[in-house]
Amino acid sequence: MPKREHLLKIGVSGIRGVVGEFLTPALACSFAQAFGTYVRGGRVVLGRDTRKSGEMLTHAVASGLLAAGCEVVEVGILPTPTIQIYVAATHAQGGIAITASHNPPEYNALKLFNAQGLFFNNYERAELLDLYHQSDFRQATNEEMRRVVTDYASAPKLHVDRILKHVNLERIRVRRFRVALDAVNGAGAMITPGFLRDVLGCELQAIAVDPRKPFPREAEPRPEVLGEIAELVRHCHREIGFAQDPDGDRLAVIDENGNVLDNDDVLALAVDVALGRLPGDVVVNLTTSAVVDDVARAHKRRVYRTPVGEANVVEMMQATNAAIGGEGSNGGIIFPAVHLCRDSYTGMAFLLDRMAETGETISSLAARLPKYHRRFGKVAYEHGRLGPLMQSLETRFPAAELDRSDGLKLLLPQGWIHVRASNTEPLLRVAAEAKSAQEADHLLKEVLRLFGA
Amino acid sequence: MAQQTAKLLRISQVGLRGIVGTGMTAAHVLDFASAFGTFLEPGKGVIVGRDPRSSGIMIREGVVAALMACGRNVIDLGIAPTPVIQHTIRRMDAAGGISIGASHNAAEWNALKFFGRNATYLSTAEANELLDIYHLKKFSFVEWDRLGELRGEDGALDSYLDELASVFDFDALKRFRVVVDCCNGTSSLILRRMNERFGFGFTLINEKMQGVAFAHEPATNKDMVALQLAPLMKPLNADAGFLFDADSDRVAFATEDGTAVSEEMVLPMLADYLLPRRLGKLVITNVSSTALVDEVASRHGGQVVRVAVGRQATIDALSSYRPEQIALAGEGTGAIMMPQFRFVYDGIASMLALLSMMRERGEKLSAIVNSYPKYSILKGQVPLVTQRIPALFTLLRSHYRDGRANVLDGLRVDWPDRWFHVRVSQTEPLVRIICEQRGDPPRDLFDALMERVRSFA
Repeated sequence: MPKREHLLKIGVSGIRGVVGEFLTPALACSFAQAFGTYVRGGRVVLGRDTRKSGEMLTHAVASGLLAAGCEVVEVGILPTPTIQIYVAATHAQGGIAITASHNPPEYNALKLFNAQGLFFNNYERAELLDLYHQSDFRQATNEEMRRVVTDYASAPKLHVDRILKHVNLERIRVRRFRVALDAVNGAGAMITPGFLRDVLGCELQAIAVDPRKPFPREAEPRPEVLGEIAELVRHCHREIGFAQDPDGDRLAVIDENGNVLDNDDVLALAVDVALGRLPGDVVVNLTTSAVVDDVARAHKRRVYRTPVGEANVVEMMQATNAAIGGEGSNGGIIFPAVHLCRDSYTGMAFLLDRMAETGETISSLAARLPKYHRRFGKVAYEHGRLGPLMQSLETRFPAAELDRSDGLKLLLPQGWIHVRASNTEPLLRVAAEAKSAQEADHLLKEVLRLFGA
Repeated sequence: MAQQTAKLLRISQVGLRGIVGTGMTAAHVLDFASAFGTFLEPGKGVIVGRDPRSSGIMIREGVVAALMACGRNVIDLGIAPTPVIQHTIRRMDAAGGISIGASHNAAEWNALKFFGRNATYLSTAEANELLDIYHLKKFSFVEWDRLGELRGEDGALDSYLDELASVFDFDALKRFRVVVDCCNGTSSLILRRMNERFGFGFTLINEKMQGVAFAHEPATNKDMVALQLAPLMKPLNADAGFLFDADSDRVAFATEDGTAVSEEMVLPMLADYLLPRRLGKLVITNVSSTALVDEVASRHGGQVVRVAVGRQATIDALSSYRPEQIALAGEGTGAIMMPQFRFVYDGIASMLALLSMMRERGEKLSAIVNSYPKYSILKGQVPLVTQRIPALFTLLRSHYRDGRANVLDGLRVDWPDRWFHVRVSQTEPLVRIICEQRGDPPRDLFDALMERVRSFA
């Protein structure tokens, strides 16, 4: 069990918590009513991932939206990017996805989207939170009450059609790629098998594609928990394996040898595909590898860096009209020509398209990327320690170029170090990158030593 | 007038009731339904249904979420008459049920009615416990992997009709030509199905269920019967006409000659029909209903037990007798419970009992109505500041010392051929005055009372 203060979080990132005693239906209902008030009634799209609590929360959220005078369009269990695209394509006033993304199954949360199907920006979130705290809600009368309509069918097609505009479908289909999938019994289970098999013409071997069953592994597709699909890839001679998180925005990739690719390398491959097709720059967060800089440089494009968090990346992408962006370590690829959101489906299509185009294996495509070594660490966070720790880092590396936009990032001749407080857990996250494994080890060890960990 | 003074929200032993948006909000619904999920005995499912008001969907969503969060499996009947919801609670051996609907109130109102496992309304003790849980806001939410599930249920209406068919002689009753004003409520669901499945020939008006615009106020009283239903009786050559409220638990009627009959007549007529047929000799009603019921009861050796006005007092009275002692219970509003249906207010069953009475007596409905001695009732209301209420009753009691006083609910004073009752409305800041006399209207008594109350206020 996490510490008590992390069982429920109501803040600028919305509402998230352990369902039951903490994240109650009344809280979800009130928050939804605040949202319905913020979007001034109108049509709101409502979907969810496969968490057991999703159905209960769907009813609570629908109640709050209706009470604010909204019409509710229920799209059922769908990946978050699919819901976002549906919001934008159907000109709704907003959308809510009930998902705690990569968090464990006892958690759930509301992801909030504006009329463009984008995550609320920081200003929108702050205003919504004020409305919530003021309990200053629109209260529809019986006459103003709208209804709940369902549309389970049309969202996946909208999503797929957008992706297909940006890949060469014929050359993917003729290859009849042998593909493995682990959808963690999440929202991806609803559409990913059809996407890979029927749309992209793959020969599919899938596990964890039953949306009624619990998550068979940890929800976040980290390399350590992807043993089963890696084994499947090896055993069934797959050319590539894909693993999703419960709401289908994050993607992990397994090569034909059963090795989980580094997420930064996956992002770099996607960046290479996107920049080959479209003009525009690249936006990534501070913790993303320099491999992205190398790829962008080869296309003569610029890389913008933002604090960690999808909303930050998205905001900068809007501001710079970027061609592609993402958050390397999180397995997130954001390709705005499809939609300005993290989308595992675009990632899958891009990689298969590149394999079809080059005839190369995924492992050899990854091997062509400049090699960097990354190390990650966690240190228990205590309030008040962060400042002194950062100062000690500065003292230890006096020649470093500093970026203080999210914790502290030190750019060094041999690589970089990034230290920041986690948004969701009581942890300091430490990342270090260098050209050699030895140097990367050394940088991480140095930080942990300074932090007394 | 009622609109201006009506309270917008009432949370009481009777449940949750209010004008949606201005008084009753989603937050109230979530908390009250969570309290109910916490209150019920553990384990079993909960039956939910609603009347056609537009706000019913918002409330249903909130109720379902709260019950699921309490680990309850929810069986949603959708738009369903309250008696059908209650029937389903028993049939499915559920822990209880919630009927979402404001019954005889105008469309902008809504309410939650709570039923326990025996499918009757909660007793006062139970209702108090529910209220305590609501106010404490300590709800028994379960862990994420034990949340309840939601499903529908198709057979509820037919099973309810099977039960009615086992008590009433449908083959005989379907020969009557009956016109029904459904007032855009749920009764059309039952009556259409009776036409379809059993060959009844109900002619329905205002049969389309409406979320916002009811054809008229869905109250079961003489004035509402007179509006549209009574004028149709002769042109349609009907034997009887009935009017139901939005959730079908109350009934009022018109006779074949086009007369809108006082809603007060339903109780004494059903007492007259049921008392000779049943072992039980008790008629439970409140202190405001007609004295005709006493006269009818005494003819059959029955006895009238009078309790305070309001559903809660009647429910509590029921539980203080053995079921077999009771012939029926009800109000002057046309809300009647019969023991055959395990004490559920049921307008449809009441209608069928009246039709059975017509068949067995072989008489026209007007002839039955006119066979009773004439009682005349006058009703009025005066606004009053709440603080002054006790002094008013003291004053009135000293004025009318010669009658027999009953202070169960306000003040009722009885003389051999007439009575009055003055009480405070449960829903509005008003004093209600009601006078009845065997024979002609007690105009003198009524005017004097109105004057006294007005000058006092």
